[in-house]
Amino acid sequence: MALRLLWASRVASHLRISVAQRGFASAVLKDLKYADSHEWVKIEGTKATFGITDHAQDHLGDVVYVELPDVGLTVSQGKSFGAVESVKATSDINSPVSGTVVEVNKELTESPGLVNSSPYDQGWIVKVELSDAGEAEKLMDSDNYSKFCEEEDAKH
Amino acid sequence: MRSPRTLEVWRLGTVNYLKSLKIQDKLVSERKSHQIPDTLLSLEHPPTYTLGKRRTDHNLLIPQSQLTKIGAELHYTQRGGDITFHGPHQAILYPIISLRSIGFGARNYVETLERSMIEFASMYGVRARAGNKCETGVWVGDRKIGAIGVRISCGITCHGLAFNIDPDLNYFEHIVPCGIADKEVTSLRRETDALLPKEEVIHKQLITCFAKAFSYDDVVWKEDPSFILDTKDDG
Repeated sequence: MALRLLWASRVASHLRISVAQRGFASAVLKDLKYADSHEWVKIEGTKATFGITDHAQDHLGDVVYVELPDVGLTVSQGKSFGAVESVKATSDINSPVSGTVVEVNKELTESPGLVNSSPYDQGWIVKVELSDAGEAEKLMDSDNYSKFCEEEDAKH
Repeated sequence: MRSPRTLEVWRLGTVNYLKSLKIQDKLVSERKSHQIPDTLLSLEHPPTYTLGKRRTDHNLLIPQSQLTKIGAELHYTQRGGDITFHGPHQAILYPIISLRSIGFGARNYVETLERSMIEFASMYGVRARAGNKCETGVWVGDRKIGAIGVRISCGITCHGLAFNIDPDLNYFEHIVPCGIADKEVTSLRRETDALLPKEEVIHKQLITCFAKAFSYDDVVWKEDPSFILDTKDDG
């Protein structure tokens, strides 16, 4: 637990954002926005970077394959754009924002495990040019996402 | 207090693989829009090889042109996992369930599928275990008795598990099953001395183990499979 907070602090300091204190396992970073399908997004002007959260990677298991979208693809908020495979399961990943893909993290082809070991940093998946910056309002902030994860985990 | 959870079960007999994909697509869409509750398909396939999303067809050891000669089809799918074989006397379960309503991710889901099969095997005195890392599935010693390959889309599952009751294991000679080269495939018939009842009974037992592992309060056995088998191509 202490190690995960230390890791999260290092990541946060690298990304120049702050860490939310949480009472249980998954790390949630402040200053990111979150979708209810467990993707995070960092918005910088008209560009956004996104990936899947620590909660998501923990619930997936070891990722062995990431299906990356093509550069130039149009993505829509809440719609699937790719998938990850872990434990013989392919899970769709949804885009938290709408826009056009400008870069994908090619490192994930050789090292899909980066999604597990570094979900907010080296495990980023896609960068897009946003088509509707206002859509970010529909996403959760770190506090709401933390609560959302607690509620989901309490279901079983 | 949580609301009661219901599972609807369709027992479909032998279903062609592509037909089963169409049925699942329709059910996934209906489950996403809350038109149906969690649903389970119980069936068998005619001899069929299938590949997962990563298209690992290097694990098919005979030319595709030979498949008709051995009476088998080959299909590429969007599920996780490597190459596998489905055929008569192998019990298949395709759960179309909402993982979000139970707060499950892929890992919990797959582990619970493994537990369902382990519990089922124990009914025949067979001590099965979950696979080691990177060997998802159910094993008796070093012999694989149950396979898993699933797809999760917007938190709804499709594809599922296959448990070998007494399939023709020779079909597995033509593949590197699940991409694992040095391990055998086995079946309930091989692993138990117990007398096996009719397959209909065996399928029902496996379904019951699934329902118990996933903590369903109610199991509704749907009576008219033609209702679901009559999926139109444009539906």
